[in-house]
Amino acid sequence: MVDPLIKITDLTKDYGEETLRTRVLKGINLEFKCGEFTSLIGASGSGKSTLLNIIGALDRPTAGTVVVDGTDLNQLDDDELAHFRNRSLGFVFQFHFLLPQFTVLENVLIPYMIYAGPANPTMEKRAMELLDRVGLSHRRDSRANAISGGEQQRVAIARALINQPRIILADEPTGNLDTANTKSVFTLLRDINGQYCTSMIMVTHDRELAGRSDRLVEISDGMIIRDEYLTNPTEK
Amino acid sequence: MKRHMLFELSLARRFLEENRGQTLLIIVGIGIGVAVMVFLSALIDGLQANLIQKTVGRSPHIVISNAEYAAADAVTARDGSQVLLMDATQKTLRPIVDWRSVTTAMIADERIDTVLPVVDGSGLIRRGKVSRAILLRGFDLQQANRMYCLNDSIIAGNRNAQDGSVLIGKSLAEDLRITAGDPIQLELPGREPLVVMVDGVFDLGVAAINQRWLVMDQHRVAALLGTGDRVSTIEIQVNDVLGAELVAREWGVRWPHYQVESWQQSNASLLSALKSQSSSSYTIQVFVLLAVILGVASVLAISAVQKSKEIGILKAIGIRTVSVSRVFMLQGLVLGTFGTLLGFGLGLAMSQAFVVFAKQEYELLLKPVTTIVIVIATILAATLSAYLPARKVSRINPIEVIRNG
Repeated sequence: MVDPLIKITDLTKDYGEETLRTRVLKGINLEFKCGEFTSLIGASGSGKSTLLNIIGALDRPTAGTVVVDGTDLNQLDDDELAHFRNRSLGFVFQFHFLLPQFTVLENVLIPYMIYAGPANPTMEKRAMELLDRVGLSHRRDSRANAISGGEQQRVAIARALINQPRIILADEPTGNLDTANTKSVFTLLRDINGQYCTSMIMVTHDRELAGRSDRLVEISDGMIIRDEYLTNPTEK
Repeated sequence: MKRHMLFELSLARRFLEENRGQTLLIIVGIGIGVAVMVFLSALIDGLQANLIQKTVGRSPHIVISNAEYAAADAVTARDGSQVLLMDATQKTLRPIVDWRSVTTAMIADERIDTVLPVVDGSGLIRRGKVSRAILLRGFDLQQANRMYCLNDSIIAGNRNAQDGSVLIGKSLAEDLRITAGDPIQLELPGREPLVVMVDGVFDLGVAAINQRWLVMDQHRVAALLGTGDRVSTIEIQVNDVLGAELVAREWGVRWPHYQVESWQQSNASLLSALKSQSSSSYTIQVFVLLAVILGVASVLAISAVQKSKEIGILKAIGIRTVSVSRVFMLQGLVLGTFGTLLGFGLGLAMSQAFVVFAKQEYELLLKPVTTIVIVIATILAATLSAYLPARKVSRINPIEVIRNG
C-alpha cells in the first residue's frame, strides 16, 4: 500500500493557560492521498481552521503527529518549518494577502525569491505561464493593490503554485468574493488540481462548493463527524 | 552576499519607498544630526589647532636643559643607604657640554624638524640714563629662522646681525627709543660694558619676547659670556605638534641626566582647557547620536506595526525569522547611510557659511579620522537602533495576521 501524502494521528490542540484551557481539536485521525480535492467544512469555532493551520505547519499540535510526505512536522524547528512551508506547500487565504509594494509578477515570484533571490529568466517564464493560467498575464506589471479582489485571489493562486508544491491549502479562498469571482476561483482551483495533480485542502463555509469536491470532511466541536468521498472518489 | 539577501534588500527598499514622507523625514533628521556633529568637530578642532599654533607655532616644542636641583633633605632608605630628596624649586641650569652629539642624534630622528642649540645669558642694556634687563640669546640665525620665523618678523633694519651687531625686540626698542643702526651699551655680569650696533628690530608677536630678547650669533654670545664650546639649552621643533610629548619622553629616557620638557608639560593648563573643551564637544555629539538612535528606532517601530500584515504573509509562505530581522536592520542601514551622506553635505555647507559670514581668524578643520568616526558611528547607530523593532516584527505570528485579515 502506498503511504498517504498526509497522515494525521491522534491530533489534539489546546488553547489558553492552565485554568482556562480549551481543547479545540480532540483527537483527529485523517489521511490525505495524492491529488485529492478535499473540502473541510464546519461551523465557526469548530476547529477547521486550526486543523488547516497545523497541517500547514503554521501552528504546532499539543499532542499527536502530522507526517507530510514522509516528514514528521514535530521534528522540525521553526526555521525548518518555514522552509518546509516554502517548498512543500502553497497557501491561498481568505484575504488575498498580496504584497502591495510589489507588482503582480513579483508577487507570484516571492515564494521563490525568499530563498533564491532575484528570479532568473526560467523562473520568470514559469511565473508568466502561471499568470497566463489564471488569466492575468496582461496585469504582470500592475501594482498588486491596483487590481480587483478576484484578480488578487487568482494572483495568490499563481503564487501558491510557483514552487510546484504537492499540497495547496486554501482557507476560505472565496469567502471574500462575489458569486462570479467565487465561481471562477473555485473552477481554477479545481482545474489546477486536475492539471498538476496537486492535493487541495480547502476550508469553506460554502456547502455548494464543498459538494463539488472529491471528498468532504466535516468537523464539529473539534471532532470529525463526517468523512466521505463524493461521486467518484479518485484513487490516484 | 547570499542571494536571498538581495530579496531582503529589495524588500527593505520597497518598504522605505512606500512611506516616502516618513523615510525622507528621518533621513533629514539623521542628516541634521550628522551636520551638527561635523560642524561642531570642525569648529572645535579648528579652534584648538589655531590655539595650539598660536601657543607653540613660533616657539620650541621641546626644550632640553641640564637642570640641577639642590639637595633639600636626606632620608634613610630601607636598605640603610642615604637618599637625597631634591628641591624642585631650587634648580640651577648648568651648561650642556656634549651638545654637538645630542644635536646630531636628534636631527636623525625623522619626527624632529628643527634642532637649535642656544647660548643664553642675562644682562642689561643701557642708552643714556635708561637701562633695561635683557635676555641675550645666541643661536645660529638660519636655524633660528626656521623656529621663530625671524626673517618675516623684522620690522626695521636688517636680519643678519653680522659683525657682532644685534637684533632687538620691538617693545624694547620702543622703550629705549632706538631703532636699526643705533648703538647700545651692553653690560654682562663680570664683564666690561661694550657697545654694540642694533642691526634690526623684530616683532615676534609675544610681549615677553619683544620686551626682553636680544638676539646674536651663537659663537659671538659664547665668546662674550666666556662659556667656551657649551650651550645653555637645546630647543626643538617636531613635525607633529601634538606628538611632542612622546618624543620628549623617549629622548628623556635616553638622556636621563638632562631635563627634556615638552610644550605640553610647560602648558599644562592650556592643555587641560583644550581637553575639557573636547569633552564637552564629545558629550554633545553623543547626545546627538542618541537622538539619531531614538529617531530611527521610533520610525522603524511604527513601520514594523504598519508592515505587520506583509510580514505575516511572508512568514506564512516561508520567510525565516532572521530574514525578517535583516529586512528591518537593512532599513536602518539604508536610512543611516543616506542620512550620513546628506549630513556631511549639510555640515560642510554650514562650515563654509561659517567661514564666509562669521569671519573668524581661524579656519575650520575636519580631520579624516573624525570624519571616519562620525560616519561609522552614525551608520552603526542607525543600524543597531533597528534591532529592537526588527526583533519584535520578526516574531509576528502569521496565524494572527491570517485570522484577522
